[in-house]
Amino acid sequence: MRRFLDILLGRAARPAPAKLEGLLTIASAAIPLEAQLGFRPCRLAGMVFKPIESVYFERAQEELEQLLRIAVRETQSRFRLSTDSYRYRWVILEDPDFEDLVATIQAASQILTEHGFGEQLLAAVFRFDDQQGQPLFWIYQYKLGAFTPFAPRKGRQRDEALELRLAAVLEHELPIERRPELWYALWDIPFPVTQE
Amino acid sequence: MVYSMRRVERWARDPGLTVRMMIVLAGLALLYLFFLSALIWSGVDTATVLVIAVLLALFQFVFSDRLALASVGARILRPGEMPRLQEMVERVAALTGVPRVRVGIIEIPVPNAFAIGKRLTSSTVVVTRGLLELLNEEELEAVIAHEVAHLRNRDVLVMTIAGFFVVVAQLVFRFFLWGAGGGSDRRRGNAIALAFVVSLLVWIIGQLLLLALSRYREFVADRMAGIVTGRPLALASALWKIDGRVKRIPRRDLREVEELAAFFIIPPISRESLASLLSTHPPVEERVRRLEQLQRQLEGVR
Repeated sequence: MRRFLDILLGRAARPAPAKLEGLLTIASAAIPLEAQLGFRPCRLAGMVFKPIESVYFERAQEELEQLLRIAVRETQSRFRLSTDSYRYRWVILEDPDFEDLVATIQAASQILTEHGFGEQLLAAVFRFDDQQGQPLFWIYQYKLGAFTPFAPRKGRQRDEALELRLAAVLEHELPIERRPELWYALWDIPFPVTQE
Repeated sequence: MVYSMRRVERWARDPGLTVRMMIVLAGLALLYLFFLSALIWSGVDTATVLVIAVLLALFQFVFSDRLALASVGARILRPGEMPRLQEMVERVAALTGVPRVRVGIIEIPVPNAFAIGKRLTSSTVVVTRGLLELLNEEELEAVIAHEVAHLRNRDVLVMTIAGFFVVVAQLVFRFFLWGAGGGSDRRRGNAIALAFVVSLLVWIIGQLLLLALSRYREFVADRMAGIVTGRPLALASALWKIDGRVKRIPRRDLREVEELAAFFIIPPISRESLASLLSTHPPVEERVRRLEQLQRQLEGVR
């Protein structure tokens, strides 16, 4: 009813809110992913969001950077900020401990959400490598509140068979988006962290 | 924390707009009520008329997507075709919270864009070749965000439902215009004359109210696009560019796309020739003014 009224009166005039609940599950799902399927967590993660030209947003981002600096001090992690060609901003994190990595990404998303900018969150990305060193990304889409697999290969190809298999296998470990047409690609993720 | 959240709430919504939309919707509801009672009173077979109208509206609703796409010659992009454009649309859609958006392209030099989709899960954003050539990437992204905002607000659905009785009035009016009234006694003749006049009135007033509603929803979509892309002024500059271009295009070329005017980002009919009351879209000056106001709110100045 409320959503109906919002639509009727144009009050839905804001993007969908971010859902953070599912994000932490990747930490436990990493265990069967490595032990049974041979995908090693890469100690690399990223968070991507669309910046707003606003003083309030800049304040939120300052707080975000503060958090990252604290996280870097406390754990053995490194971070980098960059902007991609679509003008989305990336926080790239490197941490030898996968659980720390997930927790930092969660905390970073929380900061933006608490400042009222959850709508600007697009995705969090976690990288895994198979035995040949080929990448597999689990992309957490904040608006769906679910993970989608992404296995990029040379020449902008995707290993769709692998993606489908992993989505089926991990069904009970991770909140996975069931509609494969929503498994959007994220090409040119600005990994890895270069020297600061 | 709470303080800053309330800030966001404040710029995401536009209470003045909500009130105006409420007034228009209330006006429509009153008008429709009046129309229905007049119809019943005049002895017209109201049930039959309503059934026909429902069927018409359903038909329009079910086939509008395909009809619209086919009538303007839009081609849906294949996966991997124009990857940058597709990825831009995918990201904006994911950010806005519209699940699945296909991208269509029309090979005409008129710069414009529109969105269609009765269900959120099967919608299409269509851009023209002219738009891709005219705008830079930021402006293009803003225009796409505006169209995706229409999808999120379910504007096609809302306008179809809100316009239902206007369709009925049109139907009744045409019915009598073609002299299908019949009957000879005077009381019945009077009643039919009444139904004729009432349906004409409802048709005209309803259409004006619908146009007002459509203009308000444009503002709403503009605002949302400004927030999603984070740069309201990118949309403003896109609007200026498109506006300047569209007015120079001869009408002859545009007749085929005129039907879709309500869903275009800027209607292809030149604005000078129409009173703003009769327009589906607000004037660009007003849209830009509101986008600038949004930018000021974002920057914390009033």
